[in-house]
Amino acid sequence: MTNVRASVYVCASVCVGLALISATLDGQQAAPGRPGAPPPAPVIDLSGYWTGVLHEDAYERGAGNEIADYGGFALNEAGRLWALSYDPSRVTLRHHQCEGYVAPYQMRSTGNFRIWEDRDPRTQRLMAINVYGQTTEGLRTVWMDGRPHPPAWAPHTARGFSTGRFVGNALVVQTTHIKQGWVRRNGLPGSDQTTMTDFFLRNGDRITNVTVANDPVFFSEPQVRSNDFVRQPVDHGAWLYACDDGEQILDRAPDYVPHYLFGKQPFAREFAQKYSLPLAASLMGAASIYPELSAQLRTANAGADADALFSPAPGRPSETSRAVNAEPRDGQVHILPIRNNVYMLAGDGGNIVVQTGDQGAFVVDTGEGKLSDKVLAAIRTLTPKPIQFIANTSFHAEHTGGNATLGAAGQDPSLPGSFFVQSAPRGVTGFFADPLSHATMMGHNNVTVRMQATGAPASTVPADTYLEERRRKFHNGDAIELFHQPNASTDGDSLIHFRGADVIVAGDIFTTTQYPFIDTKNGGTIQGLVRALNAILDRTVFRHQGEGGTYVVPGHGYLSDEHEVVEYRDMAVIVRDRVKAMVDAGATLPQIQAARLTADYDTRYGANAGPWTTAMFVQAVYDTLKVLPGAK
Amino acid sequence: MRGSALLLITVLTGVVTSAQGRGGAPPGRAGGPPTAPPSPRAAALADLTGQWVSLVTEDWRYRMFTAPKGDTVSVPLNPNGQKAATAWDPARDEAAGEQCKAFGAAGVMRMPGRLRVTWHDDTTLKIETDAGTQTRLLRFGAPMAPGALSAPPGEAGSWQGVSLASWEYPRASVAARGVGPGPGTGPPPGGTMKVVTTQMRPGYLRRNGVPYSANAVMTEYFDRLEVPGGDTLLVVAAEVADPEYLGTPYWTSMQFKRQNDASGWNPTPCAAR
Repeated sequence: MTNVRASVYVCASVCVGLALISATLDGQQAAPGRPGAPPPAPVIDLSGYWTGVLHEDAYERGAGNEIADYGGFALNEAGRLWALSYDPSRVTLRHHQCEGYVAPYQMRSTGNFRIWEDRDPRTQRLMAINVYGQTTEGLRTVWMDGRPHPPAWAPHTARGFSTGRFVGNALVVQTTHIKQGWVRRNGLPGSDQTTMTDFFLRNGDRITNVTVANDPVFFSEPQVRSNDFVRQPVDHGAWLYACDDGEQILDRAPDYVPHYLFGKQPFAREFAQKYSLPLAASLMGAASIYPELSAQLRTANAGADADALFSPAPGRPSETSRAVNAEPRDGQVHILPIRNNVYMLAGDGGNIVVQTGDQGAFVVDTGEGKLSDKVLAAIRTLTPKPIQFIANTSFHAEHTGGNATLGAAGQDPSLPGSFFVQSAPRGVTGFFADPLSHATMMGHNNVTVRMQATGAPASTVPADTYLEERRRKFHNGDAIELFHQPNASTDGDSLIHFRGADVIVAGDIFTTTQYPFIDTKNGGTIQGLVRALNAILDRTVFRHQGEGGTYVVPGHGYLSDEHEVVEYRDMAVIVRDRVKAMVDAGATLPQIQAARLTADYDTRYGANAGPWTTAMFVQAVYDTLKVLPGAK
Repeated sequence: MRGSALLLITVLTGVVTSAQGRGGAPPGRAGGPPTAPPSPRAAALADLTGQWVSLVTEDWRYRMFTAPKGDTVSVPLNPNGQKAATAWDPARDEAAGEQCKAFGAAGVMRMPGRLRVTWHDDTTLKIETDAGTQTRLLRFGAPMAPGALSAPPGEAGSWQGVSLASWEYPRASVAARGVGPGPGTGPPPGGTMKVVTTQMRPGYLRRNGVPYSANAVMTEYFDRLEVPGGDTLLVVAAEVADPEYLGTPYWTSMQFKRQNDASGWNPTPCAAR
């Protein structure tokens, strides 16, 4: 792991500096010290070369299943509709081409496996068991040293973060922080909220691995599957799975995402027809797993019931998110090191980013401002230097709420005696007049305009603004770029890229906690939001198999990379296309709302109460398509 | 010198450890009266009894429905096996009274249905299936060599054949106990039940006539798994070796979820299609 580095997770409260846990950004935290702890006694030795035995589900693990072959999966409505919306052509998109397999599917993949132990060289204590799968070069490291799982705001990876222990004659593994991915390669989804327990049993030259995947977003009950591996006496000699993305289909619009509208999946009946099965059988979710299936199929009105499964059930209220809240709400501010000298601070509403160095700190966004004193305390654990610059990605309060406190705690030694100080218009951007007692605040000019319109105090409003597409600054040894994203969440959003650290701060353009906040009253549009998400993807470079590399800090939620952004972009495009199809057909907003066009995403992002509901999101999409069709 | 002393201590420790029976004193030593080894039922580290419902999450189309004739995907048949599979004729099976060919030991555990697992006696674990209304008797206590047990009347050549069972203990348990399991000693429970089944009447691995012969040998490993905060699972990993119809052993693994009641038990007769 090239990004592995000692890092610090700080509870910045009255106990700032006391609670330290090592962490890495691959979702790993180094083991807490356990001096004198006896080494865990391995009950079974899994080490060696192994090959998956494909005597079950050969299609799934080989060429891939037909669309709608979902039998035996406890899909809920969201999972079923997500899968039926899937167009396999999606993997031709650049950012989908090299995606790795997520842990539940990795264990079912074809190809070679290797398992080995990591032991402390001095004590021979078992530290980790590594399970490496050739296909997509998937490495699962199962930590055996008692370390805790990372916090909810830490990054997810395809294989997730795993810890293990021996119970009886089994290795029992708990895995969290898994990315969204496939659980079958015909579009059957597994969400980023999946957690997994798996068991490794060994009998002679056979390993049986039992996976119990719990996905509250797309499944109605845990999915239990088993995978067999046969031991190979010698090295297979084939371990790699190189992948670089490229142009597979030319001249597509940048906002094109292959998918099918609800009820329009052209291959939905193919599987049942090909094998003479009842149409509904493979779409019945958990009912398809149990022996009662045949009896249920006898009593069901197979044709009508099956047709109803291709679209959202009418008349239901929208489902709400079943995701774990990735924003700490414990009244503390938590530091997550990202890379080099760049850190994410979570806990005070919107995420805050801090860059440190021999110059003053460069801070992006300041949170809600409810915990600003703790934010300052956290920053002071990272650098003794004052805050020199604050950049705002947006004028929204959860990103500017701490401007007053953090600004007042900073200073900008680059300004004294300069033209700016001599000529600054007092009363508007008054802090330029006394830069040794205030940080300089930056942002797109529309941030300043919007804040001034709300009557925000001058000391909280960015004075160092830009009007066009780009603002740049070299600070603390890194090139920092601000890119304006017109009419995205608002008309003043900026993406901020720390080029050396390769960290992009996205603000409200991208979150992992809710549907896109399209603030139409302040210039936001769905088209602009999609463009802004694509602008992030234009700058990201994955490290390996579609993950890692460029980190993306969401406005809210857990630290991400391009994989989360591309899934979010896909969602925005797909919902837009569905709304547009109904708008083009003459539907009214109430009709569109009743159609539940977000039914496959509501269990992940939906809300029926609070500041940003599903209905508000759909209306924002509708408004920018219907009311403002010419919006930029 | 130091190394030699350590080696000696290690060897002696091993001798002492291996001489210890459960509870400390080995049977028939230390002045005590000879004690009989615990019965397989008493020695069981894993409680496999109860009612279990199958979770058909793999090979779903083959297990929930009857696949077309000749659809033998993923079963490692040899040419003889392929030929036999393509000759499948369910009407002929019905006419011959052989509707249970898919419900023999090598097929019945993959049927959608429920298992009732009970101790028939101290040395025999009984598995009843509602699918096909079958009964398997897994007998402990005999050597594991195929054919070593004198088959009870009626079992040899039956759909369920002759099954020899044994407990396989985790290595750590064996090391901690010295010789094996027993109440009140050693680490937490956890052990595999190994079952070798022979002398089966020829049957089907799948309902669509994928065959196994009278020479087939099935080896199964039964494990009970506790999902933290969740269900209790029974996992059966099976290997069917058949020199007549299979090119390589056929490996599958089935999972069942433990029920807290007897609901859903629905005995049905065998069916050929």
